[in-house]
Amino acid sequence: MAGRADTAAARRRWLLLTPALLVLIFAASGPLLIVVVYSFLTPGDYGGIEWMFSTDAWFNVVASRDFFDETVTWNDAHLSIFWRSVKLSLMTTLACFIFGLPTAYFIATRPKGQRDFWMLLIIIPFWTNLLIRTFAVMEIIRNEGVVNTFLINMGVIQEPIQMLFTDFAIMVGMTYVYLPLMVLPIYASLERLDFSLVEASYDLYARRWRVLRRVILPLAKPGMIAGSILVFVPSLGAYVTPRVLGGGKNLMLGNLIELQFGQGRNWPLGAALSITLLAIVMVALLIYVRQAEREGSHG
Amino acid sequence: MAKSRGFDIRHQRGFTPIALLCFVLLYMPIIILVVYSFNAGQSIAIWEGFSLRWYQAAWENEQVQDATIRSLVVAGAASFIATSAAVLAALATTRTPPYRGSTFVFAMINQPLMVPEIVTAVALLIFFAMIKVATGYTGLWYLILAHSAFCIPFAYMPIRARLQGMDLSLEQAGADLYGTPWRVFRKITLPQLWPGVLAGAMLAFVISLDDVVITEFVKSAGQDTLPTYMLGQLRRVITPEVNAISTVLLAISVILVMAFFVLSRSKK
Amino acid sequence: MIEVTNVTKTFGSGADAFTALKEVSVTIRQNEFFTLLGPSGCGKTTLLRTIAGFIDPTSGSLSLEGRDILGDPPYLRPVNTVFQNYALFPHMTVAQNVGFGLEMLDKPRSEVQATVREMLELVKMTQLADRQTSEISGGQQQRVALARALAPKPKVLLLDEPLSALDFKLRKEMQIELKRLQSETGITFVFVTHDQEEALTMSDRIAVMNEGRILQIGGPRDIYDHPAERFVADFIGDTNFVEGTIRAIDGEAAEVELPSGKTVASRRQEGGPQAGAVTIAVRPEHATLQAGEGLLSGTLSNIVYFGTDTHYHITLDDGHAFVIRRQNQPDARESYAVGDAVGVSFAPGVAQVLRD
Repeated sequence: MAGRADTAAARRRWLLLTPALLVLIFAASGPLLIVVVYSFLTPGDYGGIEWMFSTDAWFNVVASRDFFDETVTWNDAHLSIFWRSVKLSLMTTLACFIFGLPTAYFIATRPKGQRDFWMLLIIIPFWTNLLIRTFAVMEIIRNEGVVNTFLINMGVIQEPIQMLFTDFAIMVGMTYVYLPLMVLPIYASLERLDFSLVEASYDLYARRWRVLRRVILPLAKPGMIAGSILVFVPSLGAYVTPRVLGGGKNLMLGNLIELQFGQGRNWPLGAALSITLLAIVMVALLIYVRQAEREGSHG
Repeated sequence: MAKSRGFDIRHQRGFTPIALLCFVLLYMPIIILVVYSFNAGQSIAIWEGFSLRWYQAAWENEQVQDATIRSLVVAGAASFIATSAAVLAALATTRTPPYRGSTFVFAMINQPLMVPEIVTAVALLIFFAMIKVATGYTGLWYLILAHSAFCIPFAYMPIRARLQGMDLSLEQAGADLYGTPWRVFRKITLPQLWPGVLAGAMLAFVISLDDVVITEFVKSAGQDTLPTYMLGQLRRVITPEVNAISTVLLAISVILVMAFFVLSRSKK
Repeated sequence: MIEVTNVTKTFGSGADAFTALKEVSVTIRQNEFFTLLGPSGCGKTTLLRTIAGFIDPTSGSLSLEGRDILGDPPYLRPVNTVFQNYALFPHMTVAQNVGFGLEMLDKPRSEVQATVREMLELVKMTQLADRQTSEISGGQQQRVALARALAPKPKVLLLDEPLSALDFKLRKEMQIELKRLQSETGITFVFVTHDQEEALTMSDRIAVMNEGRILQIGGPRDIYDHPAERFVADFIGDTNFVEGTIRAIDGEAAEVELPSGKTVASRRQEGGPQAGAVTIAVRPEHATLQAGEGLLSGTLSNIVYFGTDTHYHITLDDGHAFVIRRQNQPDARESYAVGDAVGVSFAPGVAQVLRD
């Protein structure tokens, strides 16, 4: 009896799930498997691939073989882009943290009725077009933009400062775009913070800075970790922001991947780079899930 | 020593100024962008008076018209497909005891949130290129399907949240009164679920409307949506026409997000 | 030791303004177990938090050992608090919690460790030193909170209804424990409660508060036997109120004429009423029941047997109710019946003239 009811329920469940799973397999997960396959094939002469097994793509991710004498060297071009991506993502995460923590704390310490309003102010930009927000940053920091025009009119500088098309621009842009992802989880953990603990620390002779360091920050740690990963992951795979704000040479991983899919380019290498990026992101997410589980079992 | 009047345990030095600065920085670029969309001059930095000429220019620009219609068609179709699929998926996965494969389902539904967009974009480029060669079809359905896929988790979340907060006893009462499952769903579950469905659909619509990366990789020649059209324009000399288009897109997003906020808060 | 002088605290402003403390003055002595007793909203917690430094009074002054501490932030006041919900740090062990205050005072590590050990011993928690605070019971958390607040050896320990979250039996145990800790450490305790029994059993002195004012300060016996105001008499224990008229006073003694026309020698407080119509209070166990005429007379309306004692409900001739409580004797037979005409008497000096 129970068994039959169970299988009927299971059948109904999978039937209901079918449309969503079909769409997702067809237009999200399935193609990922094809990327894995592609990374082990030989590039075609005019883009695309030839159906011949090869590990060259994976080899080329980090190394290169000299065309004439076959000596193997590190692929400096790729490594420097990897490094730049990681560096810019870390700096973005740090910048988001420096701005995000006080902002989340500020919102969490508003009277209850006002918090929704402040959170809405954070959420609205997050749900608006990423390209438009990047474009807004571009307008401000370009040579003829508001910042430079203002500084020149004030007499602070004679010549505009070149900010657009630099690494700095990419970092500013990504910080601007991903900041809400830092504020949201930190706010969530601060909002649950029992302020009688803060009171207790002051009562026990802790000063402001120590209360922050010894009580508030440790208790907000889950939110801080979540926020950092939520910012780091999309930063690492960013494509639009570096493309719009970075110069021709200031590439990040996402742009390097795109490059491999132009005419006459190396598709298998692009596939291998994609899988590499995916792997890094998955590791970061795994750390996040572990952390979340550990916190969950505690409290 | 001056007497510190009133000790505020919540105060942390510098936090409030940084937070307020943060809000200013968050909105300043957007506000400037909107302001210059009304500029009478060519520049996006020098104010030359108020004018609606760039809105008119955008309105009369055939490429913009074209891209707008395509954006709306894709977003409409994708949010419809994603929301329908998400409602069914939410019904299947909410309020059930633990079941085999739940982790797989969770991973599948949330996959678009976890995988970097550029990776999905590349994967779709490769996959759809194969299909294009095999079938010769180069229409809009590639875009619609790709958008549907990454809209599913966004549509799923509010629907599931709504479903979880719903009163089970009503449905049981409905079934008790000889309602068939379909009639119980239509007469009892769906009306209660409706705000969640609407919220999910709006979120999906906004997400689809805003997408750049996947669209850029999946679109066939001449299939620009508004964002990819803008991306192309950013490489040229930029006139406030781009600001005008951006402002309209911003307005749509803000209105939908506010409506989403209200809907997801509405009482059962 | 602690001097609170004319402290007033008003929250909010305009129409929403609420005055939690009204011109409160009190002196708390060295080594004293001092209790602030009153119903919720009477201002007792506000007063405690003012001493701790979390509330800044609107006016008035506050000094500790002769030094004005009003401008000092909480971390500069040699005063520690045991919070109502304990407020133990969830990310630290029991020992880390206890050592927190000393660490913040930058005491050397060896001293911190020694004091933590000593404190855990004092509250009998040595076994659980390395547990997380979420892994111990409510009673144990209470002990940790106490140890944490005592560890920095404060001049004053403030306790904000610390026993209210415990069940009855544990509460009884902790009452004795608190008293022991107070006498062993010699630290001044300021204890806030709404439970009159808790106040009476533990305190050296009690301040009864209502609506932002201190109504009476005194030892437990003093407060119970000689309430100065109707609210105090009513809030602590059970009381009969009888209307009367002062005929003569002599210091603390007053001749009060009862509705029955008889006069009784009563006690009055200094500054209390000197003449005219007054209310006097008589505790149920201080009055005696007799057949025939007494100071007051009436009819027995109900007899309630409680095991240890019996309550006699009497309707006086003027319609007011009066209750007498009598200790039960072994194998005694009930000698009264409902409907009997009875008299009520009380010894000279038992009745208290109340201030209104």
